[in-house]
Amino acid sequence: MKSRGKRPGPLTPLHLAPMLLAPVLLALVLCVSSASAQEFELGADERRQLGEPLGVALTGAALETRAHEVGSLLRCPVCQGLSVFDSPVPAARAMQAKVQLLLEAGYSEGQILNYFETSYGEFVRLSPKPEGFNLVVWILPVLATLLGLGLVAVRVKRAPVEVDATLEAYRERVRKEVAE
Amino acid sequence: MNRTALVVGLFLSLPLLVFLALGFRSDPKTIDSPLLGKPAPSFELVDLAGTPVALEDLRGKPVLVNFWATWCQPCIVEHPVLQRGAERWAGRAHFLGVIYHDEEDAIRRFVARRGGWGSTLVDPGSSVAIRYGVYGAPETFIIDTEGIVRRKVTGAMTAGYLDRILSEAS
Repeated sequence: MKSRGKRPGPLTPLHLAPMLLAPVLLALVLCVSSASAQEFELGADERRQLGEPLGVALTGAALETRAHEVGSLLRCPVCQGLSVFDSPVPAARAMQAKVQLLLEAGYSEGQILNYFETSYGEFVRLSPKPEGFNLVVWILPVLATLLGLGLVAVRVKRAPVEVDATLEAYRERVRKEVAE
Repeated sequence: MNRTALVVGLFLSLPLLVFLALGFRSDPKTIDSPLLGKPAPSFELVDLAGTPVALEDLRGKPVLVNFWATWCQPCIVEHPVLQRGAERWAGRAHFLGVIYHDEEDAIRRFVARRGGWGSTLVDPGSSVAIRYGVYGAPETFIIDTEGIVRRKVTGAMTAGYLDRILSEAS
């Protein structure tokens, strides 16, 4: 089948315009993104509160992965049981952006969780810290499982072996035939 | 049914059910802020006119920090209460409104139509809202003359309540 497309003509300044504009546009985008990054920089008070970064400053794919992990540990303040990472609401998006900023600055997971806990309280953690009264939540399921297994074991052990009396005559006959 | 099993089952499950039921009843918005009694997180934001406002510079008088938005109905209900409150407390307290997840233009239009109260501050990236642990709008924090957070109020306030909590912080 013959192609009906037009044959490419010689390059004109009109063709070259997008190629020349691309670096200019890229530079503009970079300027805007660096300006917005500056806007969201950590304040001196925040840095004092956080202390020295205890982690490694992350970038690229490692930053994305870690931001996903840490954002999944924080509760979205306006949702029901959703993490900050999973929620699309603006409040959660802002918190996720803050998580990313803190990871970029080299703060550890513990420092970031404490940072949010300082303002939102322990409720902001999707999993309560395993200490004090919270231990009930961690220990109770294990205890309940063990107790259940124990009860089943005891019941099985105690259950009498039921013997069908009608079969006894046949068993006796088998025993005799085997003995012969 | 085995009576012992029933008693043991109830003994184990009832406390757990009560615990869970209490959890379902609690509203995160009513949880007291962990900031109460502690120094207020400092901030320096820019108002709609581009003037910087630093919390640190406002010591000596109580400060009301209200997180609000035009999409929030209780904020609209609360707006005249804050307007009249700002007039009553002029010279005796500072009133700061922090824009909570809203467009600057929408706030400008709203203020032009209905009038404003105090400074209306732009909060890029909701950084200040996060530092104050804001769950939704409107939320109001009362900071005393020493810079300590004394109250967190969730929802629209009445004039009487506003006067009372500002008097307490004076």
